[in-house]
Amino acid sequence: MGDRLKGRNAVVTGAGRGIGKAVAVALAEEGANVVVCDLGVAVDGSGTDQSPADQTAAECRKFGGKAIAQFGNVSSFSDAEAAIKSCVDTFGRIDILCNIAGIDKPKMIWNMTEQEWDQVVGVHLKGTFNFIRHAAPLMREQKYGRIINCTSEAWLGGVTHLNYGAAKGGITTLTWGAAQELGPSGITVNAICPRAKTRMTDDPKVREMVVKRVEKGLMDASVLKRMDREMVDPSAFAKVVAFLASDDAALINGQVFLTTALTVARYSKPEAVAQVENPAEGPWTLEAIKAGFSADKLLKGYVNPAPPKPEEKK
Amino acid sequence: MADRLKGRNAVVTGAGSGIGKAVSLSLAKEGANIVACDLGGGTDGKGASTSLADATVDECKKLGVQAIPQYGSVADFKAAEAMIKACVETFGRIDILVNVAGIDRAKMLWNLSEEDWDVVIAVHLKGTFNTIRHAAPFMREQKYGRIVNTISEAWVGTVGHCNYGAAKGGIASLTYAAAWELGKYGVTCNAICPRAATRMTMGPEVLAGYKKRVESGLWTKERYDEVTHVATADYLAAIPTYLASEAAGKINGCIFGSAGAFFSYWAPAKESAIYNRDWDNYGPWTVDEVEKCMPNLLKGYINPAPPEEKK
Repeated sequence: MGDRLKGRNAVVTGAGRGIGKAVAVALAEEGANVVVCDLGVAVDGSGTDQSPADQTAAECRKFGGKAIAQFGNVSSFSDAEAAIKSCVDTFGRIDILCNIAGIDKPKMIWNMTEQEWDQVVGVHLKGTFNFIRHAAPLMREQKYGRIINCTSEAWLGGVTHLNYGAAKGGITTLTWGAAQELGPSGITVNAICPRAKTRMTDDPKVREMVVKRVEKGLMDASVLKRMDREMVDPSAFAKVVAFLASDDAALINGQVFLTTALTVARYSKPEAVAQVENPAEGPWTLEAIKAGFSADKLLKGYVNPAPPKPEEKK
Repeated sequence: MADRLKGRNAVVTGAGSGIGKAVSLSLAKEGANIVACDLGGGTDGKGASTSLADATVDECKKLGVQAIPQYGSVADFKAAEAMIKACVETFGRIDILVNVAGIDRAKMLWNLSEEDWDVVIAVHLKGTFNTIRHAAPFMREQKYGRIVNTISEAWVGTVGHCNYGAAKGGIASLTYAAAWELGKYGVTCNAICPRAATRMTMGPEVLAGYKKRVESGLWTKERYDEVTHVATADYLAAIPTYLASEAAGKINGCIFGSAGAFFSYWAPAKESAIYNRDWDNYGPWTVDEVEKCMPNLLKGYINPAPPEEKK
């Protein structure tokens, strides 16, 4: 219980369960009033249920602040506007926006349907844009705001949910861009890259796989140890978000933080680390490019994430 | 004239002008047959015309290869399917896919309309997904494929078109994911981050915008010079062409800065500063504890846009 967010008003999306709920409660614990947004869907985005948002709002109120529930769909531009408006209309202004809402529809690229792509990108990426778009004019006007988005390590690659990874990459860049555009107006925009046990990640098969690999000596035992330490309720790290949402984090802008029960880390941005000059005045030639690659230093440190499987001999 | 891509068949999107056209011609010069896809619209995505794609087709044919046009929108899942199918049905298979199609609608975040967001994301990000989605089953089946996407330095954050930046960030991540999923089947997926003089980067309105940035102090004169002194797209076209060749089989999931004067390897973001708590400290983080670890995590950090001094 603290008072770092006393008198501040927050909108949290995906606040009905998991990370969103933990964040909403952490903000309330620090004294913020909270608009709890959740459509109450399943992990794959299907169905609706008002009770998760209502329950989180009730939990938030236990800390003495105010909380209201919103049941809109974050991927709807007008629902997002309504959620931001309800914060301003009910509490007087909006200081904090946490975009956590997300769904997952895992498939390999060659099996993914158009709908699976559209829905996942719609909820994550457009949902995040929608809320920032409607909050930004108000925050600029008052010259104060704290925006925290939710990205994922899937941003850097992985298999079986290219839709999810692409959406998270979009959110990461949106975080960097919004930080540059809004920073001069006293608004910070940062993102978290969380690891936690939620409906979306709680898969006993993953742990079994890791256990088997450790037993076979294919994986270091510390991987399992770390996993067990980190696959816990997201309330373990929700205060990282509360800190980023506070006055005390005014100078932290445009950053992405890995957040787990065990670790907080800051991500660098991608950067050009090695360069080859065109030896000629004219256009690049394939010979010069080939020479550039074979110079060895260009791809120093690069590891092919999935080299071709050797042809099986029949 | 060379033959490094002899017998290979390529689909290039945005092939009617700029980078897409230069890449089409560069692939054709190496012997590849080309499906030149272009809706023929403006840089803002409005309008349509068959003449841009047709002109590229004519120029490719002059180089001695086969070429056909496609006029659909890459943002349309079915039109993207038609582009890939046209390649397979006309030339026999698809070996190379180069996604270049893109539009721009530059506005500050607080002025972006829903449509400005939607169309830019649709053309770049969904367009790139659409063609890969339809090409992937063929490439996986034949255990060979070369995919090259186009992103932008706007990927690492940009002022004045967050829609464009977000789309490019999405494509960067999509490139990583597709490389992970398809690599073991002999398919590579890489991306270029081009710098070239095109109608999108050097049109009269764009130049006026750059000048405004210098006048308002957002850009230095040096930054302006760097951005405007760029070669035409034909200077860099050999870079995606190389990535589309057999020789580049071991390069997968990489992003390359591509300009006339240089090319560079962009390393992905990484955990640059890490704070681990005690293994045995099982309580939730407190705000005080987070605050205490921040100075170490923020070493070397520069605020990209600090609050303006109050007047």
